[in-house]
Amino acid sequence: MSNNNQIDSSHEQEGGVPFFPDHFLKEAAVMALLLATVAFLASLMPMPVGEPADALKTPLGIKPEWYFMTVYQILKYVPRNIGVTFTFLIFPPFMMLFPFFYKSVICKWKYGRLTLHTVGALGVITAIFFTMLAYLGFE
Amino acid sequence: MAGAEGNGIMKRMWTGVGDFFDERFDMRRVIKEFAEHNVPDHVNWLYCFGGITFLCFLIQLVTGILLAFYYQPTMDQAYSSILHIMDDMPFGVFIRSLHAWTANIMILMVILHMLRVFFHAAYRPPRELNWLTGVLLFFITVTFGFSGYLLPMNQLSYWATKVGSEISASMPFIGPSIQAFLLGGAKIADATLTRFYAIHVVILPVTITILLGLHFLMVRKQGIADPL
Repeated sequence: MSNNNQIDSSHEQEGGVPFFPDHFLKEAAVMALLLATVAFLASLMPMPVGEPADALKTPLGIKPEWYFMTVYQILKYVPRNIGVTFTFLIFPPFMMLFPFFYKSVICKWKYGRLTLHTVGALGVITAIFFTMLAYLGFE
Repeated sequence: MAGAEGNGIMKRMWTGVGDFFDERFDMRRVIKEFAEHNVPDHVNWLYCFGGITFLCFLIQLVTGILLAFYYQPTMDQAYSSILHIMDDMPFGVFIRSLHAWTANIMILMVILHMLRVFFHAAYRPPRELNWLTGVLLFFITVTFGFSGYLLPMNQLSYWATKVGSEISASMPFIGPSIQAFLLGGAKIADATLTRFYAIHVVILPVTITILLGLHFLMVRKQGIADPL
């Protein structure tokens, strides 16, 4: 599959451990732990079926899944069209494309990467913060 | 429990099968190269989230196929087919719960994997394209979650999808078209359910398989990024 290009061979010269069996065994242990975890959760905390859907009966406090909670909560505070535009139209292309500007833009400035990573860290903190607000029931 | 002779036959048979593929595809060299490639020393437990995500995907594939044998994507039958799976099928509760729990863990692991790659700056050239496929894989995984949430047709499914489709409708210009595409009509009905089902069990699985293939090929070709 891989012939020895510069990227591969640089690692092979530095040493490290062979994929099989050294790394493979560690990987296998992690995988066994994952299987045990999901089997444990599925056995002891089976997913309830819930009430059947009823278009005429709006339930109290509709909550999306936890991974949508940040967006759901932020949309309560910012105008919806602005929040949605950012979430669906600005954020995804930025996320996908910023590495293409790593050398030409980000690293032109001494603190470029530090700034980028700080913005990322603030993003993570914001996401956790708004998820917590949502679960604590702030409107 | 075969005797020495039996072992000899088995061994010769497997060697024969190995030779067959080796002559045609150079299999032994490919496998040997993969098994012997070095994993750099700086790889620690933070690097395991991507692999865990992939195993989650495999669990979802197997449990999802089992659920698809009995699930019926119509307004009348969806909820009762879930009840049927849970009440009458052997290990039905377990398989469905495994699918739902693994879905959540998969999204968590994708997020952790992304954070690891981001803060190690492993997205930097020459690995921009692999970061790009990774971001697409993240959005696909989340879309899996959104589309799968409707399928049991319980109160949560119905109202979360209603809210979700209303949120997407407020996107400028394309919002209303996206809502119409999602719902297949003015409200959540059979057309919505079959769409979400097609998205969840055909479109997304095919897309994610292709992108995972590219993702792994690129990791293999480019190796693991050097630490900062």
